[in-house]
Amino acid sequence: MPVLVKNLEIVDDPWTLIDSSDKGDPVPGEGSILSFEHWTSRAHATTETCVRSLRSPGVGFWVDGEVDVERVCDHLDGASLVAVKFRAFADGRGLSLGVLLRSRCGFTGELRAFGDILPDLAQYLHRSGFNAFVVENHRAAEVAIASIQSITDHYQASALQPEPAFRRISARG
Amino acid sequence: MYQYQDFDQRFIDERVEQYREQTERYLRGELTDEQFLQLRLRNGLYVQRLAPMLRVAIPYGTLSSRQLRALAEISRRYDKGYGHLSTRQNMQFNWPELESVPDILGDLAKVQMHAIQTSGSCIRNVTTDQFAGVADDESVDARPYCEIIRQWSTQHPEFDWLPRKFKIALNGAASDRAAIQVHDIGIRVDRDTSGNVTFDFLVGGGLGRTPAIASVIRRGLPEPHLLTYLEAILRIYNRHGRRDNKYKARIKILVRAMTPEAFAERVDQEWAYLKDGPSTLTAAELDRVKACFAPPDYPDRDDQTALLAEQRLKSPDFNNWVRNNVSSHKVAGYAIATLSTKHPGVPSGDVSDAQMEAVADWADEFGFGEIRISHEQNFVLPDVAQDNLYALWQRASEMALATPNAGLLTDIVCCPGGDYCSLANAKSIPIAQAIQQRYDDYDYLHDLGPIDLNISGCMNACGHHHVGHIGILGVDKKGAEFYQVSLGGDAGDDASLGRIIGPSFARDDVPRVIEQILDVYVSRRIEEEPFLSCFRRIGVQPFKERVYAGAR
Repeated sequence: MPVLVKNLEIVDDPWTLIDSSDKGDPVPGEGSILSFEHWTSRAHATTETCVRSLRSPGVGFWVDGEVDVERVCDHLDGASLVAVKFRAFADGRGLSLGVLLRSRCGFTGELRAFGDILPDLAQYLHRSGFNAFVVENHRAAEVAIASIQSITDHYQASALQPEPAFRRISARG
Repeated sequence: MYQYQDFDQRFIDERVEQYREQTERYLRGELTDEQFLQLRLRNGLYVQRLAPMLRVAIPYGTLSSRQLRALAEISRRYDKGYGHLSTRQNMQFNWPELESVPDILGDLAKVQMHAIQTSGSCIRNVTTDQFAGVADDESVDARPYCEIIRQWSTQHPEFDWLPRKFKIALNGAASDRAAIQVHDIGIRVDRDTSGNVTFDFLVGGGLGRTPAIASVIRRGLPEPHLLTYLEAILRIYNRHGRRDNKYKARIKILVRAMTPEAFAERVDQEWAYLKDGPSTLTAAELDRVKACFAPPDYPDRDDQTALLAEQRLKSPDFNNWVRNNVSSHKVAGYAIATLSTKHPGVPSGDVSDAQMEAVADWADEFGFGEIRISHEQNFVLPDVAQDNLYALWQRASEMALATPNAGLLTDIVCCPGGDYCSLANAKSIPIAQAIQQRYDDYDYLHDLGPIDLNISGCMNACGHHHVGHIGILGVDKKGAEFYQVSLGGDAGDDASLGRIIGPSFARDDVPRVIEQILDVYVSRRIEEEPFLSCFRRIGVQPFKERVYAGAR
C-alpha cells in the first residue's frame, strides 16, 4: 500500500487524486488533487472553495514532470498542493520542475512527488523543493527517510539550502 | 592538488556508506536489477561481459603518488593486479566483485578518491589538459575551475538524472589538449586584456553515434559566473533534452534541433534569473581553491641543453624518447615527461600494480609527488628536472613505460573493446596490437610524425575514433567483426570529424589498409607536412583509390 512521507515523517494521506477522466464532476471537494486540465478549467470555483474552508486541506492539482513550468506558474493561485508525477524514477525533469516551482514561482504549499519513486530518489526530491512524496510501502518510506538523512551536507545550493557550502562555511574546516 | 577538508571528507565517507546500504539492499533482493543499475552506475560500477567493471574518478587527471599507490594496492587486493587508464583520465578495474565494491570505495575515500558519477546519465568526471599548470603555452591553469565544477556537480540535487551522460572539459592553454570541441560543454579559459579570467562556452560537441563539433554560445564570461551559467545550460538540457530515444538524448541533438543561436538565447533567459545569485563564486572561494593548485616551490635550475644534447647523442633510444615524450615546461630547467603505456603486447592504457608503484616512486623522486593521466591513456610526470630525465628514462625503460611513441602512430587510443565490454561490436585491442607489432621502428615512426590513431569497438566511440587522424571503428556485419576506417579527424584547435573512406574491412586486412594509407601519405607529403595537413590538402580520394584498388 502506498505510503506518504511528509516533512520526513510517515503520515496519513488526507488527499485524494482525481483522475482526469472525472472531469465532468461537479465542484471538487476538499482534499481533491485534480488534473491540471481540470484545475485550469475550474480555477475560480476552487479558489472560492479554498478561501471558504481554511481548516481543511484545500485543493490542489497534479502534473507530469515534463509539463511546461511557465504554464503551471500561471495557475498556482489557490492551490495548496501541487503533485508531480514521475513516470520513471530516472527522469529528472520533475526535479527541475520542483526547483522552479519553489524558486521562481514562489510556491509555498505542499509539493509532492508520486509515481515511480525509488526511495533513493528521495534525497534529490527533498533538495529540489519537494516536502512530500509517495512511495510503494512502509519499508520504502523508512529507507527514503534514512537516505535523506545519510548525507549531512552537500556542496551546492538547492531549493532547501539556497546558499552553497562555500558561502556558509567560512574557511571550510 | 586539491586537499580535502573536513567537509569534503565527511561527504565522501557518508556517500560510501550510502552506497554500501544500497548494495546490501540489492543483495537482499529489495532492489530490482534495473533499480540497482541506476544506483551502481552513479558509483562507477558497470556489469561487463566477464565481470563488473569499476571506474574510479581521477578528477581532471591529477593524482598524488599516495593515491596512485592506493590504486596499485586496490588492483592487487580486489583485482588481478592491474588497472586500465581510460580516455577520460580515469582508472578502470575490470575484475572486482560487486560485493566488495563498497570496501573499495572505502579504501579510495581514505586517500580522497571516489568513483562518484563516473557513469550513468549525470555530470561525469571533468577533464582538462594533462599538462595544466606546467605547460609553457598556458594562459590560465584550468584545474581550480575543474575542481569547483567537480564539487558543484557532485550529487547535484537537480542534475543527477539527466537525459544522458554529460561531459565537461576545460582548456586554458594555446593548444587544446582537452578536446573541448567534442564535449557536451567545452570551456576555454583565458584572460581578458585586463588580466581577468574569462570563459568561452562551447556546447553540443560529442562523439558517439552522431558526432558533432561544439558551437560557441558565449564568449568572455567573467570568472564569478561560472556556476550560474553552467546551471542555466544544465537546466535547459534537463528540461528539454530528449528522453524518448537514448541515441538522441545528448545535448548536441537538442542544440542542433533548436539551433545554437536559439539555444544560447534560452540559456541567457534562464541565466538572467541566476546571475549574481548565491552560486556566484566569491573571491574567498576562488582564492581557497586556487591556493591548492599554486605552483610548487621550484628550486632554481638552468636549462640543461648541453647535457641533454650529449646524452641524446650517446643514446639513440634516449634521443627518440626525448624527441617524442618530453614536452617543454614553463619553468626553466624542468620538463614534462610522458610515460607511454603503449608498449607492444600490452593493451593501450593497461598498467600493472608494479608499474603504478614505480610511477609513484618516480613522482616522489623526480618531481613533487604528482602524476597526471592523459586522455591518450598515458602517465605524465609534470615536474622532472632536466638533468634527471636520463635517470627517469632508464628506470622507465626497465618498467616498459619508456616506449618513445607519444603522439606517434603507435600511441594508439583504444577502448577495451569486445574483449571486455558488453557494448562492443568488435574487439579493438588485437587491432592495436597488430599495428604496434608491425611498426616498431622508431626512426620510421618519427619520420611519419604526429599521427593520432584511435580505435573504438562500437559507435559509442570510447576510443574517440571520429577525432583520430586515422580512426578505426568496430562494426558488426551479419555477426562478423568488421572495421570501418575514417581519415582526417582531429580533436585539437582546428577540430574536425573523420571521413569514412569506404566499405569496412575484415580484421586481418586492417594492418594492410593502414600501411597503404601511410604509403599514400609518405609519397604525397610535401617536406615536413604532417599527416593531417597532407590529408586536408589532398583529400580522401587518393587514399580511397589505393586502399580499394582491385577491389572493384
